[in-house]
Amino acid sequence: MNPDSTPATTLSATTLSAGTLSASATATTLSTSDLTLAYGDRHVVRDVSVAVPPGRITVIVGANGSGKSTLLRGLARLMAPRRGSVLLDGRDMARLGARTLAQRLGLLPQQPLAPDGITVSDLVGRGRHPHQRWFRQHTEADSAAIAAAMEATGITDLAERPVDELSGGQRQRAWLALALAQEPDVMLLDEPTTYLDLAHQVDLLELLTHLNATLGRTTVLVLHDLNLASRYAHHLVAVKDGRIAAEGPPADVLTPDTIESVFSLSCAVINDPLTGTPIALPRPQPR
Amino acid sequence: MTATRRDTFHVRIARHGLVFRFSRRSTVLTSVLWLCAGGVLALSLGLGEFDLRLADTLRVLGGGGTLIEYDVVVRDRLPRAVTALGVGAAFGVSGAILQRIAANPLVSPDVIGVNAGASFGALFVITVLGGAGASLVLGALAGALLTGAAIVLIALNHGLSGYRLVLVGIGIAAMLSSGTSYLLIQADYRQVLNAASWLTGSLANRGTLHVAVIAGTLAVVVPVLLVLGRHLRVLELGDDLSRALSGGTRRIRLSLITTAVVLAAMATAAAGPIGFVALVAPQITRRLLPGRPVPLGTAAATGALLVIGSDLAARLLFAPTELPVGAVTGVIGAPVLLYLLARANRIGHTG
Repeated sequence: MNPDSTPATTLSATTLSAGTLSASATATTLSTSDLTLAYGDRHVVRDVSVAVPPGRITVIVGANGSGKSTLLRGLARLMAPRRGSVLLDGRDMARLGARTLAQRLGLLPQQPLAPDGITVSDLVGRGRHPHQRWFRQHTEADSAAIAAAMEATGITDLAERPVDELSGGQRQRAWLALALAQEPDVMLLDEPTTYLDLAHQVDLLELLTHLNATLGRTTVLVLHDLNLASRYAHHLVAVKDGRIAAEGPPADVLTPDTIESVFSLSCAVINDPLTGTPIALPRPQPR
Repeated sequence: MTATRRDTFHVRIARHGLVFRFSRRSTVLTSVLWLCAGGVLALSLGLGEFDLRLADTLRVLGGGGTLIEYDVVVRDRLPRAVTALGVGAAFGVSGAILQRIAANPLVSPDVIGVNAGASFGALFVITVLGGAGASLVLGALAGALLTGAAIVLIALNHGLSGYRLVLVGIGIAAMLSSGTSYLLIQADYRQVLNAASWLTGSLANRGTLHVAVIAGTLAVVVPVLLVLGRHLRVLELGDDLSRALSGGTRRIRLSLITTAVVLAAMATAAAGPIGFVALVAPQITRRLLPGRPVPLGTAAATGALLVIGSDLAARLLFAPTELPVGAVTGVIGAPVLLYLLARANRIGHTG
């Protein structure tokens, strides 16, 4: 393991730019209509109709096994709908061509695996795959997008380091850079903060917020931590037993009643003195 | 400019808007390996029980020389050496494709049962049908392709993930080796001797047929890989990400696995199940090119050099007795890999 660069310094590097990554002219809408997703006979997501606000950050929360990651997989077309559909700018995603979809949807999976020993710039470069053909394996746009993605995530200096030598926080930035280099209209991130310490969780979420503000790209992520979700989401979607239990701005969703029903956890909700967003405080068990 | 970016260069054919990406290190290494393989080829043509100097070999190739020289060089040693190069390249590429798709260095066509299928098919022809030559090639081919198809069909059911492919392959290989043992026990002494040499992988008595089998295969497969090969860059990132980056990967994954199986099947049909090459050639390549995934062209060159070098050693070391090449590939390939592993650890690269 290499010593971590502290979140504070990496962040200041990133606030400089991202301007060179092309911002979407009009943000893309992503929605589902009566979407049902199933593994075999087990229906994990049932009749979900949800509209992701274009150009904003939507966070999906829910208990373990609630179907939140499955819902994200459905949005990414990693799972075919059993019933219903996923709509990208109003068009049924199932009918979109493979290349078109790959150019429009970016994904950061839960536990991505880098091939042994490859460098950061090689990894990030692979995000350009949907823009390349076997007879056109490189364009100037590729170089520009790769450089901009690495700069936006503050990993330009790490370009030649092997991915497996990076710290957890740096590695997650490299994977994020891959998705940015892809220049998708919609970014889907499955629990991007799971293996990070608190400082790096905040660091990554600040980076995502910053990128969202500069690029205006529709972003959907699954998070475990309710309070971080509340702080960084524009739109919060709470999933319970494969259905939407509540959705809306964090202030409307994060109520003691909703938390009680979604997580079976008794909570008090106060306002974050720093941001004004709601914070859930679990009530101690009487002893 | 950074090292990877300096290492990468692009070949443009501006008139047609074509751009191809190459790596300097792997291009240089590939060229060096092919030159070495060419050198060993030249040696192979001259060396043996009937020794010729290099100049004489070239003279014979040019159409000069006596009838007996022509017989030895052009009709005996040349097809053998060319088959060795082609088979080695095919095994190297086959192993590299499977290892990258499965993201697992232990995968190779021998491990997933393709060679076991070829062995069973060939043995069936030798012992039950009493065939040899072309029918032996056909038997091996049928065995390998049927096995490959079975593996892919069974593994396909659940999305062709790496582990599943390997486990299904190991299961099928185990059944086939039982079948092979049974055929060997049933067979008579002469047939067993004949089969034993084939089962180790041998390049003795290769002719136009074998050259045609492997050359034809490569002529078809190389263009396919020129188009599909780039997808390995995303397939090795895992199921989810590769699907996000190419929209849908099932067809591409299936085509590449089929290509790898066909390569191994044809190579085995031409030279028997030469062990270890498909497993070790990509691994040696990886150690020679740390920090990048195994390029198919370089794996081909490594495989070709390994097989033709092993065959030369197999012919010369115990002369006048010839060993089957398959008995030597492991003996030569394993130390090379172990040496590279030991050296890599010293300079700080991990396995």
